[in-house]
Amino acid sequence: MSRLAALFVPLFPLAARLRAEPELGREAAAVVEGEGPAARVVAATRAARHAGVRRGATLAQARLLLPKLAARGRDRECERAAAEALLEAAEQISPRVEEVAPGTVLLEIDDAARRLRASADPERELGRALVRVAVRAGLPARVGIASSRLAAEVAAQGAGDGEPAIVPSGGEAESLALLPLARLAPEVALATTLERWGVTTIGELARLPPDEIASRLGEAGRRLHAVARGLDPRPLAPREPPRELREGMELEWPLTTLEPFLFLARAALDRLCRRLDGEGLGCAALGIALTLEPDGVDERSLALPAPTREAKTLLRLAQLDLEARPPGAAVRGFAFTAVPDRPRAAQLALFGPPQLSPDRLATTLARLFALLGPDRSGSPAAVDGHRPERCALVPFAPPPPPRFAAEPRRRRGLLAVRTLRPPVELEVVVDGGGRPRAVAPVVGEASARRPEVRGEVAVAAGPWRLEEGWWSAAPVAREYWDVELAARGLWRLFRDTASGRWFADGAYD
Amino acid sequence: MIGPSPNLSRAAVEMALAEPLRQIDARARTPAARRAEVEAWLARAASPLAARVRTMRELQAAATPPEPAAWSAALPAVAALFPAGLPRGELVEVAARRSAGRFGLVLALVAAATASGENAALVDLGDALDPQGAAVTGVALSRLLWARPRDLKQTLAAAESLLGGGFPLVAVDLGLPPVPGGRGAEAQWLRLARAARAAPALLVVSAPYRVCGVAAGIALTLAAPRARWHGAGREPRLLAGLEARLAPARPQDGEEGAEVERTLRLAAS
Repeated sequence: MSRLAALFVPLFPLAARLRAEPELGREAAAVVEGEGPAARVVAATRAARHAGVRRGATLAQARLLLPKLAARGRDRECERAAAEALLEAAEQISPRVEEVAPGTVLLEIDDAARRLRASADPERELGRALVRVAVRAGLPARVGIASSRLAAEVAAQGAGDGEPAIVPSGGEAESLALLPLARLAPEVALATTLERWGVTTIGELARLPPDEIASRLGEAGRRLHAVARGLDPRPLAPREPPRELREGMELEWPLTTLEPFLFLARAALDRLCRRLDGEGLGCAALGIALTLEPDGVDERSLALPAPTREAKTLLRLAQLDLEARPPGAAVRGFAFTAVPDRPRAAQLALFGPPQLSPDRLATTLARLFALLGPDRSGSPAAVDGHRPERCALVPFAPPPPPRFAAEPRRRRGLLAVRTLRPPVELEVVVDGGGRPRAVAPVVGEASARRPEVRGEVAVAAGPWRLEEGWWSAAPVAREYWDVELAARGLWRLFRDTASGRWFADGAYD
Repeated sequence: MIGPSPNLSRAAVEMALAEPLRQIDARARTPAARRAEVEAWLARAASPLAARVRTMRELQAAATPPEPAAWSAALPAVAALFPAGLPRGELVEVAARRSAGRFGLVLALVAAATASGENAALVDLGDALDPQGAAVTGVALSRLLWARPRDLKQTLAAAESLLGGGFPLVAVDLGLPPVPGGRGAEAQWLRLARAARAAPALLVVSAPYRVCGVAAGIALTLAAPRARWHGAGREPRLLAGLEARLAPARPQDGEEGAEVERTLRLAAS
């Protein structure tokens, strides 16, 4: 029979909340369910429990005991993310994982234990590893190992912090014997019959002869009896991994400014990136869903140039987007969704120039994207046409480096032109032949941030005619001149032949 | 001899170290000789400083300098000053007035790097790159990352990200004057110089006037620019190119070379 490990997070609603707000763990705090006077404590921190706050107490009763009790409502968003994080932590150890309930996960560990066969106690070591991965995911889990589902769950519930509780193979029935029959969750009719027989514990049921049970209680009774004896051959139900990773939070009060939102968002994105890191994935696109006050949802999606798992970059992107398009109302909840993708891979060259590390490159590209905004970084691409100012950007994806570094060749430098985008409009004095003699920026064009194109023309060469798109609605027809201004540099000017206006669109440098 | 307090900031220690190390660089011809000189200097230096700086990555890098960027010696004017190529891990500042060939020099370096199979990044504050012209210059566009910041703050942040990203050449072009906020950012330039040293990457800053201050490991200028024209007088003219003299801005920034070889010549086509 397969060996199973149960990963159990005690007080799961509280643990999920503390994962999002770790600083709350040091205070007397409780998670409550319900509104107003009907709010009841679901789970409380150690400090609160020490003061007498118990599960099921109303918030008013709890506050009588502890006036400074910090109360938080149940946060389904946090709980869902925590449950997913627990499953992902378990999947780091074994691919066969089933979620029994939020905060309880079962996994098959035969293969994983076989890998640790060199160890003196592979199951114990595996149990400790499970605790570690859960703690890395922000959840204080307990681990039980047994050969049946129920025995593993019960062992996990009774395990200590950090140390797994192990039920040896064959000892499942004994470990379950003292538990009340209700732990088997029998059907109502079965429960009534067993109660009439005077069977109150699992051990009492296990001691009854199996054939007699099967003949009197049928197939359902036989299955129940097998579970009571620690025999549970049901395989784990496989889980389809979600296509997106999600982290979020429901807020205690609506937020109207960006700064406190960014503080909470940073923590959520940190958790999201830790999960991506655990899976060896990067975030290819980030979805933001904002729950607005009083109702409504603002959803937006941000595409990234390359998969990244850097929380700071994702936060910056979210900040830029929210600053550019603020939500129309106060925010009372949010969720970040990461569309995961494999990070770029590359084969490093042995003798050629070093290749950029794909992971670092992805982070750099995402940072640039966040810093400069869309269409401000990438590889330049040549564009068909004749207008000098034309340009395009494509995603930066350099080809692999050559296998061997090329010997440097002596190069002839070529004169480069700085393109002025947009062109600077000029007033130009021309001679009788139409050659420019003096230039100055038109009134209003002179700006502290534009280069100053002004002065007597010392040398002028031209004109060169450029015509493009004469068949289109916006044809371009220009006459180009290269001019040298006295001690003011070399410029490329053009006259728009349709309007007669002059512009400088480049500086030779 | 330097005798600072052990409470010196890291930046202050680096600045104190810069000059002695530069003098050692000028004397030592081989890495082994350089290492010996550095160790001897440390033994002579005041003990709190020596204890402090021995742990610094920058000093380790100084003791075992990275290979120079050999491809940068492809340009005759650069090769005249740096026969082995510009040193990696340095901030090289090129300052020149307009139409002195500054942008042409930057593009020539980018072309040399990308042609040798390395990747390069151009942080283009003036948004001045003409991709078609760059391709003609020899730039492998697919190996070039073009960042188009809007102001100096974005420029510095983008350059730092690119240095952290492992680009072996990061060229920062500050465009035509005036550079908004071009002066007064010495601390940020020091930070960039440190990032270049840690990478180690060649960081080339092209500016209309000197902006990097003491952060520049090598400061060069393009002096006496002159446009060359075909034709004379009232004949039809044609721009043939321009030339300027590439010279170190400070005595310690280059070795003496043949004057004619230091002339940067850029042809119009």
